[in-house]
Amino acid sequence: MKAFLPKDNLVPMLTRVGRYMEVVAPIEVEGVAVFASWSGQSLALKDNPLLPPLEFFLPQRETIFRYVQDSGRYSFEEAAGKTRLIFGIRPCDLRALAVLDSIFGSPPLDQIYFDKRRSTVLVALNCNEPGESCFCEHLGSGPKCSDSVDLQLTEIAGGYVIETGSPAGILILKEHPEIFLEASRSQLLEKDELMKQAKEVMKDRKARSLPEMKEAIEKADWNALGRVCLNCGSCTFVCPVCHCFTIQDLGVPDGERIRCRDTCLLSGFSRIAGGANPRANIGDRMKNWYLDKFEYIPQRTGLLGCVGCGRCSRVCLAEMDRWSLEVRR
Amino acid sequence: MEKVHTTCIYCGCGCGLFLHVEDGRVVGASPSPSHPMSLGRLCIKGWLVGEFVGHPDRLRHPLIRKGDRLSRASWVEALSTTVASLRAIVDKFGPDSLGILTSAKGTNEENYLLMKLARAGLKTNNVDHVARLCHAPTVAGLSYAFGSGAMTNPISSLAQATAILVVGSNTTEQHPLVASYILEARSKGAQLLVADPRKTQLADLADLRLAPRPGTDIAWINALLNVIIRENLIDQEFIDARTEGFDAVRLNVSGCTPEAAEKISGIPAQDLANAARVFGSAERGAVVYAMGITQHTTGTDNVQALANLVLATGNIGREGTGLYPLRGHQNVQGACDMGALPDLYCGYQKVTQARQKFEQAWGTKLPDKPGLTALEMLAAAEDGRLKGLFIVGENPMMSYPDSSRVKKALEALEFLAVCDIFPTETSELADVVLPGASFAEKDGTFTSTERRIQRIRRAVSAPGQARAEWEIISHILRRLDVPADYTSVAEIMEEIASLTPQYGGVHYNRLGTRGLQWPCPTPDHPGTGVLHAEKFSIGRARFRAVEHREPIEVADNEYPLILTTGRSLYHFHTGTMTRRTSLLERELPLPAVEINLEDAKSLGIRNSQPVIVETRRGSISLEAKVTEDVPKGIIFVPFHFCEAPANILTAQVLDPQSKIPEFKVSAARIRRA
Repeated sequence: MKAFLPKDNLVPMLTRVGRYMEVVAPIEVEGVAVFASWSGQSLALKDNPLLPPLEFFLPQRETIFRYVQDSGRYSFEEAAGKTRLIFGIRPCDLRALAVLDSIFGSPPLDQIYFDKRRSTVLVALNCNEPGESCFCEHLGSGPKCSDSVDLQLTEIAGGYVIETGSPAGILILKEHPEIFLEASRSQLLEKDELMKQAKEVMKDRKARSLPEMKEAIEKADWNALGRVCLNCGSCTFVCPVCHCFTIQDLGVPDGERIRCRDTCLLSGFSRIAGGANPRANIGDRMKNWYLDKFEYIPQRTGLLGCVGCGRCSRVCLAEMDRWSLEVRR
Repeated sequence: MEKVHTTCIYCGCGCGLFLHVEDGRVVGASPSPSHPMSLGRLCIKGWLVGEFVGHPDRLRHPLIRKGDRLSRASWVEALSTTVASLRAIVDKFGPDSLGILTSAKGTNEENYLLMKLARAGLKTNNVDHVARLCHAPTVAGLSYAFGSGAMTNPISSLAQATAILVVGSNTTEQHPLVASYILEARSKGAQLLVADPRKTQLADLADLRLAPRPGTDIAWINALLNVIIRENLIDQEFIDARTEGFDAVRLNVSGCTPEAAEKISGIPAQDLANAARVFGSAERGAVVYAMGITQHTTGTDNVQALANLVLATGNIGREGTGLYPLRGHQNVQGACDMGALPDLYCGYQKVTQARQKFEQAWGTKLPDKPGLTALEMLAAAEDGRLKGLFIVGENPMMSYPDSSRVKKALEALEFLAVCDIFPTETSELADVVLPGASFAEKDGTFTSTERRIQRIRRAVSAPGQARAEWEIISHILRRLDVPADYTSVAEIMEEIASLTPQYGGVHYNRLGTRGLQWPCPTPDHPGTGVLHAEKFSIGRARFRAVEHREPIEVADNEYPLILTTGRSLYHFHTGTMTRRTSLLERELPLPAVEINLEDAKSLGIRNSQPVIVETRRGSISLEAKVTEDVPKGIIFVPFHFCEAPANILTAQVLDPQSKIPEFKVSAARIRRA
């Protein structure tokens, strides 16, 4: 199903949906676009926020349950989940979710992840103007959605072309017929043309093909790269595909079991009993990170573990060229 | 989910970040791309900064000592006890029998109120804070040399340097964002010179690495100057136009040849000559330093030696040049600016000169004699002259040298009140414990190491009955009949601005996410990035000749090794916050003493083996980490761990000028446990 949403009707659409579920959207906080709860703030739709909406499925820190001790017995309290609509997720981050669906969906199923996944409606926004560090086109994950999504929007003159991708998406269109118009043939053509142009923009960018990338990983001087890495973990914390976590119990006798984001770049991640570490130096761990993205995840899921969002390059404290893997000095 | 823009609480970089809030709890943090220095990047501690906020160990209720235990009390009880005890001590022993240790973790507003509490409320100048243990020599040394004891340039200026000398700073671990600018300059071709006894990551990346014996910095820095003068690499025009006292320095360093310095410091003379040539001929030279320079009995002279070096080469007042003292706490700069110092009011106005101004502003008589420094207060407590101490957000039991003496001093007090967010080794000794609010639970400002005054914003409520410190202190002030009816921190900042020339133009509605770099004297002033560009505030910058003096302790037969202490990337200070952060604690769960491979061999010590490290003060037991990153004859212990507190080992010997203790040099021995 396709429709046209006039620009002025975008906020009314979110307001209406917001009556029955939490709306998350890129909003501007102190001049920065971030994904956060939307309640009428002005939308920041120009750039994809630095932190992907992954945090709504795998939060940096979440309470799995609280444990309460009473008369020598423990009882457990789980918080009720939220129903959410995430507006403005970009094709790259959507592809990342497809990768994670496959990883968390293979047995044993990650129930905590899927509880959130199932109670979230995704409304994607295709990228007419890919960011400077984006190269999704080279990895087939953008600038237009090709993964399953409830609704996807493409901005054209005067508004957005909307395409439905699921019953939940169709329902939004059906329930609020007053804010959607029929998409004309010329509007659909305009959308296709804009998407073609967006692809062209990225064609000339410095990026490697998959075989070239694999070759670069094999050839890179990981010791030299490790020498300049500042161990900040930023590349893993901003990556929409990175999904490592750890679990901890906080509090005695009552307390909570939390799950929080972890990063394979820390030595403690791969350290084993007795202090031995199969990936003792940071260069080895960096190599493993790349291999995970370009070898292991593809083997497991059939999808690349890198979606070309370019975030890791933007946040690298050591200012490494994450793509060429060359040591500058 | 809400995202609240705030400022990181760990080192002095002052990175901008968002706290993520869901259902009234902090659930994460992420970098802010709009921050002018951090530009959307953070170190590992910054990414995880939100985790300790909701930790179950947080202090939630005031506590009062009843016999040998601390019992839960109401705020009324706790504050009444505090005020009554302080008053009783003043009545019996006089105001100078009291002291306040403020917190470099607290906001500017809190530090200002605490120094006002000491001076206007308790009538004593006995107020100090952790700067005494880190950058007191910088405040003293650079105030004398340049007229301002602060970093001369913005951190980002480092990226423009063509030669960078890093001295006694493990920058990649302690100030990762500063390190990122150094690495940026390096990858653009800047020469990197690193002086550190340990082979730090930056030392490993250096074009030239200098490894001095601890406590010999003046010797080798003077030797650099010796070569620079001899080879005429000085900036004579700059020296003539903008400085005074160069001739005395020229004379003083004429004998400090690299060969003489090699004998003292152990750095090969050729390396010193090469380093001097690289730095002396650089178009834009910058000097970065930290605790390796300051934590010595010659701390102030060490700072002056570096000041002499940048002045002689004209490397000041321009982008890409300058002297960069790296502050270790996010607001140790601000606490100094706010006058949490025994001899200075806010804005570095001397107690001996500006008293009338403050008497007028606060409408009360003020004490005229400068007070005691932190370590002097503890010594006074030990011998019975100091009877009461109010410690806010500090843990001297772990962070001050010679813990056994600190304990004796704190136990000798008649009254000890501690305000903190977690129970600490210090709060265990308190008579009253007041639960404070963490940075996520209050408003205020921090001033970063680059003089950037920036906001923190309340994201969640404090746990239990915990309260923001500015509210607690206002309350105590009112009980001591000092007007303090502040309804917001912005109001306190207005008072600060009216009394602090450097902060004259600072107002909350101007701070946004970029903050303001002081000096910012008027409401329309944009703030100042590069200091001393046109002129020095004291007119001409001052050279001062400094000479090498041996540390108080040197290795001898009984204690043949030199112990030096410091921090790691994954923990912060006494670990109250980072050791309650899952990934950081997992990364480095246990203390270890770093020992050179050869030393370890000769003592029969293997990697990971339990060992005992002893000095004349005491001993600790921990694991050995055998490494080639520390040179022969030197051992290194981080001071984060209560399981093996490094400061059991260090001594309370002080730099006579700045009263900083010599953390970096203790004679020690080590044996298998």
